[in-house]
Amino acid sequence: MSALAAEPHLALERIDAFRWRIPRSAQAGMRVDGLVFADDGLIEPLRDDPCLSQVANVATLPGIVGHSLGMPDLHWGYGFPIGGVAAFTLDEGVVSPGGIGFDINCGVRLLRSDLAIADVKPVADRLADALFRAVPSGVGAHTGRRLNRAELDDVLQQGAAWAVAAGHGTADDLAVTEEGGRLDTADPGQLSERARLRGSNQLGTLGSGNHFLEVQVVDQLLDPSAAAVLGLRPGQITVMIHCGSRGLGHQVCTDHVAVMDRAVLRHGISIPDRQLACVPLGSPEAHAYLGAMGAAANFAWANRQLIADAVRRTFASVFGLDHSLPLVYDVSHNMAKFERHRVGEREVDLCVHRKGATRAFPAGHPGIPDAYREVGQPVLIPGDMGRASIVGVGLPGAMAETFGSTCHGAGRTMSRHAALRQLRGVNLIDELRREGIIVRVSRRGLLAEEASVAYKDVESVVGVAAGAGHVRPVARLRPLVVVKG
Amino acid sequence: MDGTPGQVEGVQRWHAAVAHTADVGVRATAPDPGGLLEEAATALAELSADVSHAKHLRAQEIEVRADDLAALTFAWLNELVGLADALGEALVEARVERLDASPDGWLARGKATFAAYDAQVQPRQQVKAATFHRLKVARQPDGWNLEAYFDV
Repeated sequence: MSALAAEPHLALERIDAFRWRIPRSAQAGMRVDGLVFADDGLIEPLRDDPCLSQVANVATLPGIVGHSLGMPDLHWGYGFPIGGVAAFTLDEGVVSPGGIGFDINCGVRLLRSDLAIADVKPVADRLADALFRAVPSGVGAHTGRRLNRAELDDVLQQGAAWAVAAGHGTADDLAVTEEGGRLDTADPGQLSERARLRGSNQLGTLGSGNHFLEVQVVDQLLDPSAAAVLGLRPGQITVMIHCGSRGLGHQVCTDHVAVMDRAVLRHGISIPDRQLACVPLGSPEAHAYLGAMGAAANFAWANRQLIADAVRRTFASVFGLDHSLPLVYDVSHNMAKFERHRVGEREVDLCVHRKGATRAFPAGHPGIPDAYREVGQPVLIPGDMGRASIVGVGLPGAMAETFGSTCHGAGRTMSRHAALRQLRGVNLIDELRREGIIVRVSRRGLLAEEASVAYKDVESVVGVAAGAGHVRPVARLRPLVVVKG
Repeated sequence: MDGTPGQVEGVQRWHAAVAHTADVGVRATAPDPGGLLEEAATALAELSADVSHAKHLRAQEIEVRADDLAALTFAWLNELVGLADALGEALVEARVERLDASPDGWLARGKATFAAYDAQVQPRQQVKAATFHRLKVARQPDGWNLEAYFDV
């Protein structure tokens, strides 16, 4: 393993306790300033990290408005940083598949139960085994059945609604899913045969890496009145699901990065990193990508809907048939969306790229489900499997500064290899069990890669988002059962 | 074109992983561009699974084209990633049987070998894709060198 040479320091100016500016003068070609949300503790390790250069690189893309933004969980990605947000005008701006990521519509959904911790503890091992069997996970995971072309087209067009129509959920689920679980810009005709083949037997699978399924307990209410609106109460059992569009989405991104890599010069665009390949929003290449991205996003929503259904069936078999596990919310954190935002004195239509960033619209926004309109959009921020995850709601500050966006997780601090090295010889399954956390995983090495030591503390990350006025923390969830691929 | 195709004498093949906070990188060296693509494939195979005891192998013809050698490498590695995922099997190795450079671009043709996951073939990491991020392919005095990053 070779270590990476430290990055040259970019000029970084403190604005206040939670904000740092990368001025346009820091790097040639920047069209706007970079704006990174971090406190002293979070910013120090980033000073010689490539992610700040990535924020600056994104600032060079045509048509960018406001700032190139880094959320508090910012870390080194490829092309865009992870925790990156950028918005582009429709007439001069671009779309960049690298600004959405390979796992299109990777996201999080949260289910709540009427169970208490005392109901789960005695059967935690049996529940863990049952969930591990019910939801295929790990490298090469598949369902054992390939969807035919017509079935896959329906999934790609209808998203979560396809799963609900097939009996895997209810209309109530769709009402509390971002975009209703469907982008109507989807165009399955823009997918390659390879993308279809990769996805056709992976619908309803969790995947690997940082994807997970957790049974959690609400161990602290941070805003009781908002928690009541979200249906959360102390000691309540919840289930969090984190996954995306599987191989289908990965192939869509691969295919369209290759197309845009060939097109970028033809469109007269200069980019500092080939993974930032992009095309003007009005171009045929953009139209093709956005159609394919929408289809992959719909696949991801159907995927999370099917996994939620498998979780519900598993809970029914373990606890009896009275536990319907209503959906609290389903939110995407890898997506480009067309949204209207205020820029200066004007309301303008923009293409907002969120890569490892969660939408966080404030109370009253029409994009929020009726049930949550008074408190703001639920924001689901997973931490790591040994500590906690946070549920929050969006605030007006997010609309004012980040195009209605915030962090999507804790953010890694350590490479997978470094985590494996540091935890060599440690039995994490036993350690977590001593902490009251039951783990099922398809390969043990993954546990070290995903251990708490490899991540920032989600509470400090959310603390910055709250301090900056983007999110109001509502509840802290502690893991009891963790299923990983 | 990223460089002139041709062999650099006396170069041994090797590859190594490179640290990355969220993802995984590799560096590789070989005496010629075809060998470099093969060595990069071996690095990808090692990242993805332990295939040292793989027995039941399946060979698949592959062909990729691109405008330059870096784009060819992106296409080559992603062809291997995509095939492995579509087959639900682990990449074992890939051999380049033909590598052409012309004013119209680059072409690589070869054969990839895959093995089904079983007790002898254990997965390591789900590689989603090879990226263009910091992708470097160049002829240097010490051989043909590559640096590539994968989304995992």
